[in-house]
Amino acid sequence: MSNRRSRASVSEEEINELISRLQTLLPSARRRGGSQASTTKLLKETCSYIKSLHREVDDLSDRLSDLMATMDHNSPGAEIIRSLLR
Amino acid sequence: MAAKRTAPPPANPNPNRRRVTSAADDSASAPPSKRMLAFHFLRALSRIHSSTPVPRRTRTIRRAAYSSMARAASPRSAWSRALLRQVRVRRAVRSRRAVLMRRRVSAAPAPPLGASRSSVSAGQTSVAPPVRTPPPRQEGEPARADALRQLIPGGNGMEYCSLLEETADYVRCLRAQVQLMQGLVDLFSGQ
Repeated sequence: MSNRRSRASVSEEEINELISRLQTLLPSARRRGGSQASTTKLLKETCSYIKSLHREVDDLSDRLSDLMATMDHNSPGAEIIRSLLR
Repeated sequence: MAAKRTAPPPANPNPNRRRVTSAADDSASAPPSKRMLAFHFLRALSRIHSSTPVPRRTRTIRRAAYSSMARAASPRSAWSRALLRQVRVRRAVRSRRAVLMRRRVSAAPAPPLGASRSSVSAGQTSVAPPVRTPPPRQEGEPARADALRQLIPGGNGMEYCSLLEETADYVRCLRAQVQLMQGLVDLFSGQ
């Protein structure tokens, strides 16, 4: 990776390869038809995907806090977790 | 019960043995080790659970999620380093603020702490850390890259090329974290 930077210019192919790798990560990677989706649209999709993941983390942590509040200290789930971390 | 999850459930009786070996194969674009993630997050969760049962736990859990995600990721990723830096800064600011509050007469319950939590977008710090922000060199990349920069922690100092790599890594880790948390919710709510 460092030799790429020392060339003082990142070639187009490398950027395209990175972008295509990013595209495979997105949930909308199923449609292989327009695999040359425009970069802008891809970046926009990545942004919205990351934002939705953030929202999901918030929502899940909210649910986890509710669940933990109702969890009994002697419940089997807590026992499992405590045994994991020993 | 385990049909929905891709990773083995956290109630696996022997994660400790595999934890050591899976941390060793963190190659360049390897997915984040799920057991490391589970280890850090579960440890943080148990700490939260045994600590003050304040009804303000959601924020703490969310912060723990991002911290454990950053710790489980390979330290070669710039975003994990930036996240951990943010956590340190935030903690320092919070302790300083707590000291200041204690010096005053405790009139209001905790409004300054609420103000410091004004970071609406998850993971971003509202306290202005000394970010160096070199001018982002763009190879003719539109404004979308700036939006991405703001989403990825530490993205402001990155070139476009490394920004793409970091984004991929960040998305993979984030997805693993979401899967882990979803699995935990299922585990807890299934009782």
